[in-house]
Amino acid sequence: MRMLRFEVSFFNGAANDQGGPALIRAEAVTKIFGPNPHSVLPLLEQGQSKDDIQRETSHIIGVCNASFSLEPGEIFVIMGLSGSGKSTLIRCVNRLFEPTSGKIFLNDPDHGEQEITALDQEALRKVRKYQMSMVFQHFALFPHRTVLSNVVYGLEIQGKHKAEREEEGHRVLKMVGLDSWANTYPSELSGGMQQRVGLARGLATQAKVLLMDEPFSALDPLIKVNMQQELVKIQDELARTILFITHDLDEAMRIGNHIAIMEAGEIVQIGTPEEILVNPRTEYVANFVEHADPTGVITAKTIALPLRDKYFDKTHERNGIQYLHRKGGERSIEYGIDDQGKLENVRWDDRNVTVQSLEDAYKAMAEESERRDDTLVTCRGTCVLRDVLRCRSYTSLPIIVTDDSGRVVGLIDEPELITAILEKRGIESGSNESVTTEREAHVAHGND
Amino acid sequence: MNELMDLLRGVLAAPFDLLDIPVRAWITDIVNWIVSMFRGFFRAYISPPVRSVMETIQWALSSIPPTVFLLAVFLVAWRSASWKVGLFSVIALALIGFMGVWDQMILTLSLITTAVIFSIIIGLPLGILSSRSDLFYTIIRPILDIMQTTPPFVYLVPAVMLFGIGNVPGLIATIIFGMPPVIRLTNLAIRQVQPDLVEAAVAFGSTRREILTKVQFPLAMPTIMAGVNQTIMLSLSMVVIAAIIGAGGLGLEVYAGLERLNIGQAFVGGIGIVLLAMVLDRITQGLGQKGPGAKEKRSK
Repeated sequence: MRMLRFEVSFFNGAANDQGGPALIRAEAVTKIFGPNPHSVLPLLEQGQSKDDIQRETSHIIGVCNASFSLEPGEIFVIMGLSGSGKSTLIRCVNRLFEPTSGKIFLNDPDHGEQEITALDQEALRKVRKYQMSMVFQHFALFPHRTVLSNVVYGLEIQGKHKAEREEEGHRVLKMVGLDSWANTYPSELSGGMQQRVGLARGLATQAKVLLMDEPFSALDPLIKVNMQQELVKIQDELARTILFITHDLDEAMRIGNHIAIMEAGEIVQIGTPEEILVNPRTEYVANFVEHADPTGVITAKTIALPLRDKYFDKTHERNGIQYLHRKGGERSIEYGIDDQGKLENVRWDDRNVTVQSLEDAYKAMAEESERRDDTLVTCRGTCVLRDVLRCRSYTSLPIIVTDDSGRVVGLIDEPELITAILEKRGIESGSNESVTTEREAHVAHGND
Repeated sequence: MNELMDLLRGVLAAPFDLLDIPVRAWITDIVNWIVSMFRGFFRAYISPPVRSVMETIQWALSSIPPTVFLLAVFLVAWRSASWKVGLFSVIALALIGFMGVWDQMILTLSLITTAVIFSIIIGLPLGILSSRSDLFYTIIRPILDIMQTTPPFVYLVPAVMLFGIGNVPGLIATIIFGMPPVIRLTNLAIRQVQPDLVEAAVAFGSTRREILTKVQFPLAMPTIMAGVNQTIMLSLSMVVIAAIIGAGGLGLEVYAGLERLNIGQAFVGGIGIVLLAMVLDRITQGLGQKGPGAKEKRSK
């Protein structure tokens, strides 16, 4: 049978991530702690294992050969367990720790490209003053200063006049909802509020880059989620570039545009949350993501059964519209697709089925609770699994996934949903044989 | 063989006859040398500033009428500590006045104020330096130990030889004796400032001076004030001893009383010193607790 022509567009759509030059670029950053770190570097280059080196030389390798880059305006999360070197790595970026080797570049359009690792103290201070600020795990607020005075600390160091910096301070405090607390002391605030002050202090300097070292780890779970939402909201408004450290995978998935996973000082995988969830590169990452909640991360286009002749039969063609039927499908639903690749109509036992967009379906859902069996919903490929599941509770028919221009990408029915939830992958994507066990694979295919 | 045994027996019986370290002669020589070399220098360049500061303070304090002085003490104590401390201070100082040693108290207060001012001027920078350089602190620590543990009588002698007798040599001895706590506690206080706060200051591009003045110093203030408080107490005890070499004030009352076996006079001086010490202690402690760094409730 002739290959369907739509599949090409699906695969092109997947690779639109890389845009623009990186704002921060780290190349092979290594940080060794000990009396003579440079003496250990050659051993590392010769490929000796970190454990051996640590045992024999009493040096500790904090970060080993870490490379990554941040695109302007994104939240880049470095995730790892405690001791994996993530806090060391973030401190290498603004040189609170001197990297033992490797280079870090900052490419701020207003200042041109600078090699952070080659700056002298004076220039480094300038970078810290104007281009990078930081938020700390334990807040590190100055207890002898009021909330406002904490927030404007960076502006004070920049040499801004009192009136100007206080105006700016109040503006940022409003943004984090604490303006009425401006004249209190940090000790009078709760943990969550203190970290809002920490965030405000980081935002106040107008630095393009915000380094956040486990900023929400010390907070209660509920407050933590609140803060994450707030951060994303503020980020939508201000579009800073954020390097965010966490040991919490759900947090990483919730706020990160890209995630780097660290293990024992090394970055083992970098990718979008979905890539990491669907396609864990090592056993370690796989273990990590095993208990992650996929419903907010995995997108419809990943789990959709692609429109290929492997999965679909062409039943007939009428007026230039091809009618497709799912192979082995129980119900005789036919999907009519025009020569643009768009969904023209859907027929079930020669009846027409109503087709609704996801937005319309949501509106209808708000009004009635009855589950429909005569309506089919289409959604964008970028919708997350949660949205798709909600549609499934609204209608018993499959969900059609389209790309941004409305062309059909694939279809999601029960088997796809089950695979997505249980194995965090699509029928075709992420079939990493070494990680997926045989039993799981069996479950996946036995459902169809 | 027998000779060897005899020698051994002799050594065991009197081991210290083996070696004679003539420290007495050395110190005498060293001090004589220092005196002959530097006496002129010390008298020309160290005495005058100390003397003029002391005399200015004494002039200022003694020209205030006692009632105004008491009122001022009450206000200072009230602002820095509480109205209770204020009331206590007024009663204590009034008692001193009623015992007839008001002028001596004023002189003692001037001596102490001068000693403390010089202790802070010299001690604070040394303390800051010690907090930044482990090497410097390693060097200065034994010197501080010597300054603090040498019995105060011992350095009265070189003080007299260098500066003669009177208030100034007494003051110099007092400054040397009283300064170590300022250095030690300044060093300790700055080192104890939470490292994450210093890190935060660094991350925002602060210079070392800004870190010191905006973060470390304000947070170290309560501990530094404790050092100043100790310095005041030590100075007070030293000022009594300094009466031996001619320093005046309440110490002289005690010393004179002892010399003449005038128990009453000695006790009046002693009670005056105790009352003054309590007043100064309460006020400076209050200052330490209400200072800018006193908001040190950890933000965790």
